[in-house]
Amino acid sequence: MRRDNRRCRKKLLNRFVFSVFPALPWVLRLINNQLSAQFVQNVWIESYDPTIEDSYRKQIEVDGRQCILEILDTAGTEQFTAMRELYMKQGQGFLLVFSITSMSSLNELSELREQIIRIKDDENVPIVIVGNKSDLEEDRAVPRARAFGLSQKWGNAPYYETSARRRANVNEVFVDLCRQIIRKDSEGSNNCSDSNRKREGPNRHDRKRDNRRPKNRCVIL
Amino acid sequence: MKPHIPPLKISKSNSNLSESSNEKSIQSRFYSAWGSSEMTPPLTPQDAQDPNMDQLETARPVFHNYLRAFYPFHPAGNVSPSTVTLPLDQGDIILVHSVHTNGWADGTLLDSGYRGWLPTNYCEAYDQIAMRPLLKALTDFWDIIRGGCGSSLKDFGNQDLMRGPIAGVRFLLEKSECLTRESSLVRRFDGLRRIRKALLSDLSSLVKTAKKFQEVANGDPSEDEVEAILDEMLLKAFKIVTRGVRFLDVWNEEVGLSRTIAEMDGPSESQGQYSMPPTPASESFSLGDGPDRAESRMLESRQESRQMSHSRMDMSRSSMRTEMIDHRPVSVATKRVSVSHRMSVSGPSTGIAAQNLASERLGTTYDAFLGVLGSFIGLHMQSRSSTELVVTTQQAVQSCRQLLNVVEVVCEHDTQRSVSLEQARESMCEKLSELVHAARDVFRPAHLPDDDLVFMPDEGKRLVDAATDCVRAAGNCLAKARLVLEQIGDLELDAEHLEERGEELSNIGSPQDESETPVEQERQELSLRLPPPPLQIPSTTYSPATPALTDATTPSSFQSTNVSALSSLPNSAILPTHLENISSFSSADSSYRESHPKSDVSESFGRGITSNGSSFTYNSYTRDSEMSGLSQTSTRATSPDIGGSFQGSFTVHSLKESLSYSTLAEENEETEANILEKTYAHELIYKEGSVMGGSLRALIEKLTAHQSTPDAMFVSTFYLTFRLFATPIEFAEALAERFEYIGDTPHAAGPVRLRVYNIFKGWLESHWRHDRDNTALDFIVDFANTRLMIDLPTAGKRLLDLASKVSAVGGPLVPRLVSSMGKTNTSIAQYIHPDTPLPPPVLGKKEHNLLKQWKNGDASITILDFDPLELARQLTIKESRIFCSILPEELLDTEWTKKTGSLAVNVRAMSTLSTDLAHLVADSILYLEEPKKRAATIKHWVKIANKCLELNNYDSLMAIICSLNLSMISRLKRTWDIVSQKTKTALEQLRTIVDVSRNYAVLRQRLQNHVPPCLPFVGTYLTDLTFVDHGNQSLRTLCTDESEMAVINFDKHMKTARIISELQRFQIPYRLTEVPELQAWMQNELVRVRSNGEITAQTFYRRSLVLEPREASRSGSTLQSQSETMPSMLDNAKDKFDFLSWTNQSKAKSVTTHG
Repeated sequence: MRRDNRRCRKKLLNRFVFSVFPALPWVLRLINNQLSAQFVQNVWIESYDPTIEDSYRKQIEVDGRQCILEILDTAGTEQFTAMRELYMKQGQGFLLVFSITSMSSLNELSELREQIIRIKDDENVPIVIVGNKSDLEEDRAVPRARAFGLSQKWGNAPYYETSARRRANVNEVFVDLCRQIIRKDSEGSNNCSDSNRKREGPNRHDRKRDNRRPKNRCVIL
Repeated sequence: MKPHIPPLKISKSNSNLSESSNEKSIQSRFYSAWGSSEMTPPLTPQDAQDPNMDQLETARPVFHNYLRAFYPFHPAGNVSPSTVTLPLDQGDIILVHSVHTNGWADGTLLDSGYRGWLPTNYCEAYDQIAMRPLLKALTDFWDIIRGGCGSSLKDFGNQDLMRGPIAGVRFLLEKSECLTRESSLVRRFDGLRRIRKALLSDLSSLVKTAKKFQEVANGDPSEDEVEAILDEMLLKAFKIVTRGVRFLDVWNEEVGLSRTIAEMDGPSESQGQYSMPPTPASESFSLGDGPDRAESRMLESRQESRQMSHSRMDMSRSSMRTEMIDHRPVSVATKRVSVSHRMSVSGPSTGIAAQNLASERLGTTYDAFLGVLGSFIGLHMQSRSSTELVVTTQQAVQSCRQLLNVVEVVCEHDTQRSVSLEQARESMCEKLSELVHAARDVFRPAHLPDDDLVFMPDEGKRLVDAATDCVRAAGNCLAKARLVLEQIGDLELDAEHLEERGEELSNIGSPQDESETPVEQERQELSLRLPPPPLQIPSTTYSPATPALTDATTPSSFQSTNVSALSSLPNSAILPTHLENISSFSSADSSYRESHPKSDVSESFGRGITSNGSSFTYNSYTRDSEMSGLSQTSTRATSPDIGGSFQGSFTVHSLKESLSYSTLAEENEETEANILEKTYAHELIYKEGSVMGGSLRALIEKLTAHQSTPDAMFVSTFYLTFRLFATPIEFAEALAERFEYIGDTPHAAGPVRLRVYNIFKGWLESHWRHDRDNTALDFIVDFANTRLMIDLPTAGKRLLDLASKVSAVGGPLVPRLVSSMGKTNTSIAQYIHPDTPLPPPVLGKKEHNLLKQWKNGDASITILDFDPLELARQLTIKESRIFCSILPEELLDTEWTKKTGSLAVNVRAMSTLSTDLAHLVADSILYLEEPKKRAATIKHWVKIANKCLELNNYDSLMAIICSLNLSMISRLKRTWDIVSQKTKTALEQLRTIVDVSRNYAVLRQRLQNHVPPCLPFVGTYLTDLTFVDHGNQSLRTLCTDESEMAVINFDKHMKTARIISELQRFQIPYRLTEVPELQAWMQNELVRVRSNGEITAQTFYRRSLVLEPREASRSGSTLQSQSETMPSMLDNAKDKFDFLSWTNQSKAKSVTTHG
C-alpha cells in the first residue's frame, strides 16, 4: 500500500502542481535526504488513496542522493484561508507557479512571495518560480524576459518554464528546490556544528544545469 | 544414469532452415537445460532444432498453471529412487505447482490426483480460452484448500467457493455454444451431448459435496472429517476440469473442424473462439443440395458475409491472437511480435471502408493464417484423421499466400526496400515450403494403389514443427511489414489490385522474388496430390479461382476419397447449425421464461445450490490475477433457512408468487438452467474481493444481484455517486433493462425484480435530488405503469404513488438520515439516555448581566469575561449545527471549490466560520495594547482550545491553533515571554495534534475509531476528496477476451463515498445547552472580523509590527515604553488611534488602518 502510493505520487504531483492550482504556492518540506536508491519509483498504479500518510511525498534524486519531499498540500481547502499560513510556516521551500498564458497569474505571485517571506521571516527562503504551460507557446502572455526579470529581482530565484502536460522540466524544478533546501539546511546547521558541512560538497560539484537559467542563489545579506 | 529415450523418432529434416535468431523450437529452451545431470528431464521427444544456448535468457518460459501431456511418460523405476516421478499418458492434464529450472515440474495429475515430478518438455501449456475461467477456478480452489493453511472453515461457509467452477463451466459451455440442451450443437452431436451431461452432473456433484461440507462444518467436525471432504471436493473439481477438457476435445473434433472449413477465412474459428457464429447469410443455403453445390453455395454466402462480419472479426481478433500466443512456445521474440501486432490493430473495430488499408489487410490475413495454423496444430494434437490434415494443410498454404500477397504489396510500396522485410518474407516462404514438404511426405504412402491414406505419426510431428515455424515466420514477417508501413505510411489496397496479385502469384509465383519459386513448385506438387476444389476455394477470397490449383490434375482415386471424407463430415450442416444458434440463444431463453412463467422467490431459495454461480465469480476470469476467492458480499441467501429471513423483507410480494417447489428429479435440469443465467458479470473488474470498476449494466447487475443481500456500502455509494457516471435517465433505463433481461433466468427473476423495484423505491424515497433527477421521473412512471405493473402489481402501484409524491414534494419524501451512510460504519455514538439532563451552562449572574448590557450597547465584553468551557461549548454548538447539515452531494465532484453557483453552502459556511474564528483569535490578541493583556488572552484561547479538544471539536481547535501560530502572533516575542510555561506546554501539545505534516497523521490517527459526538476538521476531508477526484481516472480499462473496453472506475466512487461516509459518521449533534445571548455576541464578533475581508491578514501584520516592531524584539525587553514609541517611529500613529478606539468598543474599528 505504502509503496504503491509512493509510485503514483510523481504522476499526481506533476498533474497537480502544474495544472490544477496554479494560484497557490507549493509548500515543500524536506523529510529525508539520506535514502537508499532502492525506493526509486516508476511503476504506475491504478488506484490512488490520498488518506494515507505518505501519499503526499515525492522522492527525487538530488546530486546522486535520494531525497523525499513532503508536499503540504492545501488543495480543496482554499477557503480556509487561515490554514494557509500554517502550511507555509511548516514549509521549507516553495514553488511559485504561474501560467505563461496569463499575466494576472504572474502578478498574483508577488503577494504570495511577500506572504511567504513574512511568514518565514526570511528573505532567502528557497523559492523557485515556475512558468507552466510552456507547451502553449502560441498563447504566451508573459514574455520570458519579464518573468525572468522578476525572478532576478526576487533574490535571483531560479526561473523555470515547464510543461506538466509534456513532463518537461518538472523534475528539474523539484531537484533545484530540493538542492536549495538542503543547502539552507546545512548553512543553518553550520552555525552550530561543522559536521554537516560535508553534505554540501557533492552538491556543488555535481551541479550541471542548463546555462540559460539563473542559478546563482548565493545568500544575499 | 542415462536420460530417457525419446518415445518418438526424431526426424532430422530441418537442416535447410534459416537460422533466424528468433525462430526457436518449442523445446529448445528445455533442451539447453538438458545435460548430464541426473535431475534433468529426459530429452525432448522431438528434435531440438537449433539449441542455441544464448537464447535461454531471452526465452524464459512463462509459468503455466496447466500442462497437457504431449507424450506419454512412463519412467523406468530406476530413474531416481529419491524423487517421485509422475507417469503421464498422452492428453493428461496436470496442475503445475512449480517448475524447476531444469525443466522438471511439480504437478498434480488431475485424472488421479497424484502429485509428482514430471518433465515439462513432454507437455505443452494448456491454455484454451474457453477453459480459462474453469482452470482459474480450479487454481483458486486448490490454493484455498491446499495452499492456504490460514484459510479456515469459514471460507467454505458460503457458496462463494463453488461459484468459480460453476462460472467456469458456464463460460465453457457458452463459448462452445452449448449453453442450453436445446442448442443445435448439443442435439446434433451425441458425443457432445453425453459429455456435456457428464460435465454438468460432475458439477452438481461437486456442489452437493460442498453443501454437505457446509453442513458438516456447521457442526463440530473432526479434522479428519473435514480433510476427507475437502479431498473429495478437490477430486471432484479435478474431475470437472478433466471432463471440461475432454468436452473441448470432442467439440474441437466434431464441431471445430467442420467449422474451420466452413469459415476458413475468418479468424474466429480457432480454438476457443466460437462465440462468433459466422454469418446471417444462411438463407441461401439449402441442405438438399449435393455436397459440391452446397459447398459452393456456402462459399458464396461466406463471401458476402465476409463484409458483414468483418467488424466482428476485428473484435475477435485480439483474443485470437492471445490464443495463438499461448499455443506457441513462449519466447521473447514471438511475444514481441505479438505485442506490436496488438498495438497496431487494437483500435476500435474498423468498418468495411478500412478493410483495404494495407495494415488492416495485413492484420486480417495474418489472423486468418494464424487461425488456420492454430487449428492445424490443434488438430494434430487431438485427432489424427488424415483427411483433416489435407484440408488444413491446404488452407494453411492458401491463407499464407494471402498474407504474402499483402506483404508483397507493402514491399513494393516501400521505396527503401527494407532488407529485413525481404528476409522475413523469404524465410516465411521457406517455412511454408517446409510445411508443404512435410505434408507431402505424410501422404506419400497414399500413392500406393488401393491403400487408404496412411498417416505417419512421425511425419505429423514434423508437420506440426513446420507449422510452428510458419507461425513464427509469419509473425516476424508481419512485424517487419508493419514496421515498413509505419515508415512509409499506410496505404490503400484496392481489392482488384490484390486480386490480380493473388492470381499472378499463384499462377507463376512472383517473378521478382526467386525464393518464392520453390514454394510455388511445392504448391503445384502438393496440389497434385491433395484433394481438389472444395478445399482450395477458401484461398480465393480475393481471387475466386486460383488457376494454379484448379488446373492441377487430380488423381481420381483421391477425388473420391476426398468426397467421402467430406461427406463424412457434417460439414454442410454446420453452417445452418450455428446460424440457428444465434436465434436459438435468445429463443431458448425466452422459452425458458414461458415454461416457467412465474419463477418464485421461495423456489430459488429452497433449492439451495443453484445459481449463485454466474454473476460475481467471473472475477476468476477477469484479468486480475490477484483475485481472492472470496467476494466481499455475503452470498448466504442460498441456503434455505437463511432464505427465510431474506424473504422476510419481501414478504408482501413474494407471498403471491410462491408457487411450486422443485423436486429432486428436476434438480439436474434446474441446475442447468440456473447455471446458464444471462449476465454481464464479465464486465466487472474485481480486486481483493471488491468491485473496482464495471460497465453500468454490470454494476446494476451487481446492485440487484439475487443471490446476495446487496452490500450496504455498495448501494449507498451507488445512490450517492451514480450521477457522476450516468444520467438519472440512464440509471433508470439500466434498471429497467435489468428488470427485463433477468426474465430469461426464471429462478432469479423474482428476487431480482424485487430488488430493482427496491432500488427505484429507495431512490425516490430518500435519495431523490430534485435538481438532477426530475428528468427521469417520467421514465419511472412509465416503467411502473407498464412493466412493473405486469409482474409486480403491488410494487407498481407503490412506485407510482411514490413518484407522484416526489413530483409534488420539494424535498425527499422520507427525511433523509444524513448519516445513513455512516451507519455502515462500526462506531456508533455513545449511548446517552434521553432523560439525562444536558450539562448546565457555566454562566453566572455576572456574565448574564454583562451580556445584557452588551446587548443594550452599554458594556464591552471580551472572551476573558467568560469561562473557557462555556465558550468552547457555544462554539461547538455553532459549528456542529452547520456541520450536521452538510449534505453528501455538497462533497461530490469538488463542488465546494466552484467559484460560482456552488451548491455546497454548508461546506462553505464551515470554512467561513473556521476562518472567522481564526481571525477573531488574532483580532482579540492584536488589538490589546499591553503585552500582559495579550498574554492573558493567549492563555485564555489556549484554554478554550483545550476545552474544544475535550469536546472533540477538532475544527475549532484547528482554527484557534492556526491563529496562535500565525506569524503576526508568534512573532510577538515580548508577549510570549510573559506567557506561562504551563500554557506554552499546553499549546505545544495541542499543536502536535493538529500538525499538518505527514498528511495529518496525528489527527487522522485520533479520528480513527473516534466515537461521536465529534467535530472533525473538515479540511482534511476536502483535501482527500479533491485528491481522490483528481488523482483517479474516471474510467478504467477492462481487458476482455474480445477487446478492451472502458468501464466506470467504481473504485474512485467507492473511495469518495468512503470519505464522505467517514465524515457523515460524525454528523451527530452535540448534547449541549445553547445560550442564545452568548451565541449572539459570538456571532456579532465573528461578523465583525469577517467584514475586514481579504485585507485582514495584512492589517493584522501591520498591527503586529506596531505592537512589537522588528528591531525592537532584539534590542530590549522593556515592554510598554517601546510599544508606545515605536508606532510613531513607524509613522503609524493612525493605527494607534484606531486601536484605541477599538478598545472603546467601536465596532467600526480598524478597517481604516489599512491604506
